[in-house]
Amino acid sequence: MAEPAPDVLQRSDEGKITSKPAKKRWRPQWSAGVALVPAMTITIVCFYGFIIWTFVISLTRSRLLPVYKFTGFDQYVRLFANERWWTAMQNLAIHGFLFIGGCVVFGYLLAILIDRGVKAEGMFRTVFMLPLSMSFIVTGVIWQWVMNPGLGLQEAVRALGWTGFEFNWIVRPDRSIYTLAIAGIWQQVGLCMALFLAGLRNIDPNIWKASRVDGIPVWRVYLHIVTPMLRTVFFTVFILMSAIVMKAFDLVVALTGGGPGFSSDLPARFVVDHILNRQELGLGAAGAFVLLCTVIAVISPYIYYELKKERSGRGH
Amino acid sequence: MKKFSKIAASLAFLSVGVSAGALHAQTAEVLHWWTSGSEQAAIGEIRKAFEANGGTWVDTPIAGGGNARAAAVNRMLGGDPAAVFQFSIGQQLRELADQGLLANVGEVATAENWDEKLPPLIVKAAKYDGNYIAAPINIHGENWMFYNTSVLEKSGIEVPKTWDDFIAAAEKLKAAGITPIGLGGQPWQERIMFNSVLLGVAGREFYAELYSTLDDELLKSDTMRKVFETFGALKPFVDEASPGRNWNEATNMVAKGEAAFQFMGDWAKGEIIAGGIEPGTTVGCAFAPAIDTAYIMTVDAFAFSAMDGDEDATPAQTLMAQVMLEPDVQIAFNKKKGSIPARLDVPADSFDVCAQTAINTLQDKKTHLVSTGLFGVPSAVSGAIDDSISNFWNSADMSPEEGQAQFQQAISYAK
Repeated sequence: MAEPAPDVLQRSDEGKITSKPAKKRWRPQWSAGVALVPAMTITIVCFYGFIIWTFVISLTRSRLLPVYKFTGFDQYVRLFANERWWTAMQNLAIHGFLFIGGCVVFGYLLAILIDRGVKAEGMFRTVFMLPLSMSFIVTGVIWQWVMNPGLGLQEAVRALGWTGFEFNWIVRPDRSIYTLAIAGIWQQVGLCMALFLAGLRNIDPNIWKASRVDGIPVWRVYLHIVTPMLRTVFFTVFILMSAIVMKAFDLVVALTGGGPGFSSDLPARFVVDHILNRQELGLGAAGAFVLLCTVIAVISPYIYYELKKERSGRGH
Repeated sequence: MKKFSKIAASLAFLSVGVSAGALHAQTAEVLHWWTSGSEQAAIGEIRKAFEANGGTWVDTPIAGGGNARAAAVNRMLGGDPAAVFQFSIGQQLRELADQGLLANVGEVATAENWDEKLPPLIVKAAKYDGNYIAAPINIHGENWMFYNTSVLEKSGIEVPKTWDDFIAAAEKLKAAGITPIGLGGQPWQERIMFNSVLLGVAGREFYAELYSTLDDELLKSDTMRKVFETFGALKPFVDEASPGRNWNEATNMVAKGEAAFQFMGDWAKGEIIAGGIEPGTTVGCAFAPAIDTAYIMTVDAFAFSAMDGDEDATPAQTLMAQVMLEPDVQIAFNKKKGSIPARLDVPADSFDVCAQTAINTLQDKKTHLVSTGLFGVPSAVSGAIDDSISNFWNSADMSPEEGQAQFQQAISYAK
């Protein structure tokens, strides 16, 4: 309500000035345009250009080197007949759901706990944020040791006397994909917590005062008042974590190597493996393109919905 | 005075130019992935010989075979190739030759009579259009079985000669609380074990025919089902922590007596020696159980880039190819690498027991077999083979019939 005022004021200021400074105004725009040229070029060439190139390659029979002998959608037929590809896609869905869900839920809970005024808040914040300073490779190696049944947690607990204890997910083909989510959440939950905490600290204290006056229990305030207010933070976390899921490669390489068998393979690893190690450039490109289409299909409705809501929210 | 100094300066300049030119003629950049201690010591032997013959060696080590191969190809495509680069012989190298990116070292090969001295299967794999496009410098064997002698003695077990014997022995060991097979559960290690079973159950002729033709009839045959049955019967004999383990950790399990057997290539000897054990003593070596004697060979090789688009080898490349296959260099290099010489006419007596067995076995050409890639199987197919073997091995409830069907399908899709 008060915000539009400066805008109006500026405009009336400018209205007084005649056409001469209008030329001056043109200049900064022009130089900004020039400054944007490198970024634009990189975006257009490296992003859209290479997406198109990948698609073109996926229509050829290229193996080690790009060869432009077109074979239609042969590579896609081969890709869809590949059992490993479907395992990888299924794993992406499982991992994406667990990882993003886990990061949001645990990140939010940790943020709430810290926001409730834990003692030694600074220490906890640092502890939760620390894993973030490690690369996915290091994270993968650490968790590989922890979850190795002959070396890590299982062995340690058994040595303490609980000989029936079992935690061997990493060597079980039907469970190995969950270990990825565990290690991933451990690493990224700190970042989510920080984002949520920043959001919580921005909540108007008056809301808390008002809810206390009304006698609303704390959990209901969080669930029905604070959470909806943090919608944009949830959106940010979702987008950030989705990006991490889609490009997840190093974690799976370090943690399970896609194994046992190919039970914990992910599409990104499938693509890299086929392009670099198996000289299946065409098949890898087809995989990359299908991955891109899947991502767009899954993510864009949500982004569209959120942005539309935001815009209409502003309009009120 | 001024004039004199000018002349002197230009003379000096000239001489620098000349010596740089002469230097250039014998300078070769060598791109390879041998970065571990024993590997570096081994390639150091070639370097020493190359430099003793007046060459200048520019070393470009890149960790990891995949990375090094990618780097070699990328540099070639970018117009700045390394003169000599390590590569696997096979389909990929042929594709590079197809594009005119490789130099041929046929001249040295003819002069040194490689055709006679190298195993015929390897000669075939290293040639393209009748010309050598790579210098194979050693032979590793893939169908070895390493075992802990004291563990076997304690359990009263003879070194098994057939797979039935092996399974009986493994059951005995398992009952005694020893892990029968130390396996690193990574696809390529599982494939090495599978190939040993394939060779052992189906015989050397079947093995050679299968991988050189990838014929559907063979893939669907009863013999193949028996291979999958035997391979599947080994599943209970590995420990729980096997998936993802590195091969050298598995070798250490055998050296320490935690596991009884390991099926691995002879590079495992390097690890055994590093543990202070002479191969053939506490840790013994034998060929994996089989109905006939054969040696699955795999080679390390160096290829030569076409410099400035010229497909004739430069003097430095020629010198390198010649040095690499000299008998003395072959002996010094292969002792450090744990492999045996690519030339079969090199005396065996200074090698360890395992290597001597291999060299003597290979004198009979009927025993010659090569690993999947050297049969000209494209890497796409060998990748699909790895995937399906690994999937079968790691799926406890997959029957041998299902495993066989999956194997056959994977190959036919990737072909």
